Amino acid sequence: MAIVTESQRSITRSEVHQTITRQSKHLPSIALGVVLLIAVSFTLLTLFALLARIVTQAIPALTEKGTGFLTDTIGSEASKVGIWPGLFGSFGIGLGVLVIAVPLGVGAAIYLEEYAKQNAMTRFIVVNIRNLAGVPAVIYGVLGLIIFVGWLKPVTNGGSVIAAALTLAILVLPIVIITSMEAIRAVPRGLRDAGYGIGASRWEVTRDHVIPYAMPGILTGTVLSLARALGEAAPLIMIGAITGLLPETSLSGKFTAIPMLIFSWSGRPDSGESSVGWSNAAAAAGLVLLVLVLAFNIVGILLRNHFEAKRVGS
Amino acid sequence: MNGLLAVADLRGDPRRRAHDRRMRRLLGGSALVTIIVSALILFVLARGTIDFLRSIGWNFGILRDLSEAPGWFPRRERFDLLTIFLGSVIMGMIAMLVAVPLGLGTAVYLSEFAPTKVRKILKPIVEVLAGIPSVIVGYFALKFIAPNIVTPIFSPDQPRNMLVSGLAIGVLVVPIMASISEDALRAVPSSLREASYGIGARKSTTTIRIVIPAAVSGIVAAFIIATSRAIGETMVAAMAGGRDGSGPRTLNPLEPGLTMTAAMTNAAGGTDQVNSGAPFQVLFFVGLLLFLMTMTLNVIGDRFVQRVRQQY
Amino acid sequence: MKLKQWSLLAALTVTLPLAACGGDDGASSTSDAPATSEAPSTSEGGSVFVTGSSTVEPISIKVGELAGTAEGGNLKVTVEGPGTGDGFKKFCAGDSDITGASRAIKEEEATLCADAGIEYIELAVAIDGLTVATSPANTAIECLDKAALYALVGPESEGFSSWADANAIAGELGSAFATLPDAPLSIYGPGEESGTYDSFVEFAFKSISEDRGTDMVSRADYTASPNDNVIVDGIESADTSLGWVGYAYYKAEEARMKAIAIADKEGACVLPTDETIADGSYPFSRTLYIYVNKAKAVENPAIAAYVDLYLSAQGGEQVSAAGYVQLDSATQQLSLDAWTARG
Repeated sequence: MAIVTESQRSITRSEVHQTITRQSKHLPSIALGVVLLIAVSFTLLTLFALLARIVTQAIPALTEKGTGFLTDTIGSEASKVGIWPGLFGSFGIGLGVLVIAVPLGVGAAIYLEEYAKQNAMTRFIVVNIRNLAGVPAVIYGVLGLIIFVGWLKPVTNGGSVIAAALTLAILVLPIVIITSMEAIRAVPRGLRDAGYGIGASRWEVTRDHVIPYAMPGILTGTVLSLARALGEAAPLIMIGAITGLLPETSLSGKFTAIPMLIFSWSGRPDSGESSVGWSNAAAAAGLVLLVLVLAFNIVGILLRNHFEAKRVGS
Repeated sequence: MNGLLAVADLRGDPRRRAHDRRMRRLLGGSALVTIIVSALILFVLARGTIDFLRSIGWNFGILRDLSEAPGWFPRRERFDLLTIFLGSVIMGMIAMLVAVPLGLGTAVYLSEFAPTKVRKILKPIVEVLAGIPSVIVGYFALKFIAPNIVTPIFSPDQPRNMLVSGLAIGVLVVPIMASISEDALRAVPSSLREASYGIGARKSTTTIRIVIPAAVSGIVAAFIIATSRAIGETMVAAMAGGRDGSGPRTLNPLEPGLTMTAAMTNAAGGTDQVNSGAPFQVLFFVGLLLFLMTMTLNVIGDRFVQRVRQQY
Repeated sequence: MKLKQWSLLAALTVTLPLAACGGDDGASSTSDAPATSEAPSTSEGGSVFVTGSSTVEPISIKVGELAGTAEGGNLKVTVEGPGTGDGFKKFCAGDSDITGASRAIKEEEATLCADAGIEYIELAVAIDGLTVATSPANTAIECLDKAALYALVGPESEGFSSWADANAIAGELGSAFATLPDAPLSIYGPGEESGTYDSFVEFAFKSISEDRGTDMVSRADYTASPNDNVIVDGIESADTSLGWVGYAYYKAEEARMKAIAIADKEGACVLPTDETIADGSYPFSRTLYIYVNKAKAVENPAIAAYVDLYLSAQGGEQVSAAGYVQLDSATQQLSLDAWTARG
């Protein structure tokens, strides 16, 4: 029997569909879209302005010095300085993160996800780690000053690359743990059960199945925490990085790092005598740091996307 | 020979078991390191705080400057906490005034409006912004925001002031606000949106009256975590805030200001006076306060994040 | 693949300490060189660590750069400037070879060094002046004395918004300039963490605040900025401004401010110039020193070479290059004698 009357049958399916999704003619929606687009544009514009400023200010210093900027040491004249001691220090810090924070962090993540019983103690440890992730960098600097520069002076020889590396490794440790925990949690249960089913011990299952499977996520976390460690300056101020003259670089002697140089040089007045002032030197150092940090970030993001895609596909 | 299996047969090679136990202890030790770190931070800050309080004679009154022109002048033993607290709060508020519209707006756009292709390009760009070190944002504040934006528009007495610093800190935390909000928005099940469209609502109504309220826990979490980050920021405040370790109390954002974080770094650096005693030790006291403030904010923010995760 | 990862990690952890050990050799390798009677040249290499005042730092850096590059020199001089006080702490703990100071060592610091068994040589290396200035448009003020400055900028002047407000206190102190005009008083200067601030309050207020029982500090309500440029901007902007900067900065920006002469003990007004600062006639000048660790100077010829360079004519050029004033020849000779006479 005909339920639909003459007048109702004249409306077609496509017309109904169009009515529902005909967003383009709805003014408030368009308005909202425009407002949001403005917000996004502002964000992008700021990013663009920042990068443009750094690059344009950096060019005089870089054209003046060329690659000498990377090999010369710091000193009293803006047109003559280079960031070599900063590169050395930052490299040492990066190494410290890799050698200290990654093993400790991944180890802790494995324990918390695979071994620990889900009791109050474990919850307390996890909450504590989340807190540490939010502690301001300057407080880690205080920790570094008292513990690594002070108490552990026999080991670190005071304010040295080793002390800085230790401080920054502790700073990024919570981030490594959290990202590794998430990566390990994403490993399917079935993989572990299969291992246990054939009699493997917990460590064997973890070592041979869980860690390899979670490795992309762990790698991403490692790379992102490296980028973070390279960019922090507040702890370096507390530990005592050199900004005056530093002709020698060693792991146990006085040190400096790129963010510290940027901070110091930004505060020095441009004498206006030469075309290369401290602003330019600071911007050039900033450009080097940006390139390093952004390279790490992009690698991390690409890694994550690549392995996520691979995972979804398989 | 007994054909039945005993539990002992199923146990496995004792060597492998021992190895497993060793690994358990080793890994457990790693996890324990985090507890040690927290304990050390608290110990260092607490001990320094006690030293400081002792050197001012446990006179808590000294922390509130009741004179005509109160201020934070550590080398004159004038420790008006309100000065640096206001510095952090005012810069933080200005920062959030910038970060919330830009960050939330970006998040809503990415989550609800952006076509997939645009999203694929925009989201990584926002993540790139998140990776920019704070020294560089500080440089940007000093050499661009101050001379090209704040000074021409507002003509402040001094080029480096709380407005410049606040704006820059806002730029710094926009990515945090954006990414946590976006996670929250995307976590809202599409069934809610579809139901809304199904009863005839349009995009703007759906977004504003359905999706955003549904994601409000996550958005609040983003706000709290971003605020915590803004208050904990040191470099931008030290470079562009305008004060080098001392200053009068002020509420005017066009005047230079001193944050708790910048006060700490300046207390650590010596001057041409003897650097010990209360002017140096006060950094531990301020550090302890800062630690407690950011920890409280982070705990609350984290609660909201966990709630978002559980809801869906 | 796992084996390779673990062994790479192990290799890294082993090589790191070894590399660290390698870094220490720089300082100790020169300890075998005998102390000769003639000055060792800078070409023999070696390391020197200089800490101390941020005011002296620029000079130490320039001399250090010279020592590292001049005519085959290859001294490795590391220079930092955490502050005079901090510098003495490190120096008296034996952590640095040389410390720079913008004032003479205090008694308690000397005791600290003595207790630690550190013997040092005090060497004057330069003079730094402090310029009190007003706007070039200010024709009313040519000269001020300490009493007037105390009345204008001192701790009892909080809230004074006109120059005339200071006349009362200036009169009390017997100033010759207690007839200041009624004009808006805007004060610009460095903040209290600056060495220049310390010098100013010491020069201008010391004896007066002792007499009056007040703290040796300035009033808190002036425009303080760590940025010399901002101070000069302020001085230039207000017609009847008052401010103070280091002499080096004044020299660089002479056109933008008008130096105020300071009345000395006899009441004669002296303007800051290279000559008046060098011969001490300008009241607001201070000597910059370096303190050298005697024992380390004997052990490490690099230190001796560095100090030789510091006190030489070339070193003197660096003092000027850094914006300070060279010592007059008599004082220079005193320093040289003290240095050559070291045990």
